[in-house]
Amino acid sequence: MCVDDQLLNTYLDNELLEPWKTQVEEHLSYCNACKLRLSQLEEIQSRLASATLSDEEIAPSMERVLTYFEKNRFSEQSNRHLFLHKRVQIKLVPAILTSAAAFVVVFIASFVLFSSNPQQRQEILPGVADPIDSNHIRQVSDSPRQSLDSFSLEQIINHLDKLGYAVKLELKAITPLE
Amino acid sequence: MEIQSNDERAFRGVYEEVFPIIMRVVYHVTNNRDLAEEICQEAFIRFFDKGMLFPSSDDAKYWLIRVAKNLAINQVKRKVREQGMVEKLKQMPTSRSNTTDGEHVLIREETRAEVQAAISQLPEKFRLVIVMKEYTDMGYREIAEVLRISESNVKVRVHRARKMLESMLSQE
Repeated sequence: MCVDDQLLNTYLDNELLEPWKTQVEEHLSYCNACKLRLSQLEEIQSRLASATLSDEEIAPSMERVLTYFEKNRFSEQSNRHLFLHKRVQIKLVPAILTSAAAFVVVFIASFVLFSSNPQQRQEILPGVADPIDSNHIRQVSDSPRQSLDSFSLEQIINHLDKLGYAVKLELKAITPLE
Repeated sequence: MEIQSNDERAFRGVYEEVFPIIMRVVYHVTNNRDLAEEICQEAFIRFFDKGMLFPSSDDAKYWLIRVAKNLAINQVKRKVREQGMVEKLKQMPTSRSNTTDGEHVLIREETRAEVQAAISQLPEKFRLVIVMKEYTDMGYREIAEVLRISESNVKVRVHRARKMLESMLSQE
């Protein structure tokens, strides 16, 4: 009994499993009709295969599409990376400058404010005024301040008497006898 | 090895392997090389933009073939609706080629045009199976995986498609 056409197709595609594969091969070794049918199927297969696109024909398309991805997809990823890098740089540069300026200010201020030796300070920073300290400050409020408490009652009465005022003294809770 | 579709390195690996496969499949379904290139590009754009994680490169390959195949089928259906089948067949032979060996190229293009005309006349379910069988290195199991049909169904369709093609090509 000859091999079924579908079985031959499966054999042709190398998809026939054992033990059927060996059985078909054995049959083909002596059956000319089946051999002829197999060669016809092989011819169709090779005719179809001849219509395929060769690697050389596909290469230009493959390059064009890859170029598209390199320009529109891969570059976006690397641009995104660069953008992030730039943003970090933009943020970092002013921060570094500010830190440096702050350091210089603190350094100079430490000399100006806390240096105990004015001569040394003038050598390091000529033109900088002496800091404000207790030696350089004269408080106006330090001059003796006079108020009524500074004088005795007698002095006040004498003073008023000299000015021509008549002074009458009364003590609380004591009513003079009429 | 897992494949992250929007990872450039993984993408390039898959691209090298799969582009020729889907280019051939789509070309033999649409019979138009420029269109096939566009569809391949679209399939890979979807692949990249979706940023999917595939368990293996084979899974990525099957996904791409499936998407490209669907795009190609939709395109063919649209063209058929727009032009009508007869006009489409008249416009079939495409002659763009980079080789200069005139006679050889001519014979090849004629053969290709005959085969393409015959394939185009196959019903869709047979066309897809035979195109994948003849123009890629995929076996029945892989074709079944891509088309989500059984292996025995692939076997039957390959057989019937060859029979139909044999009949069409012997008439010419």
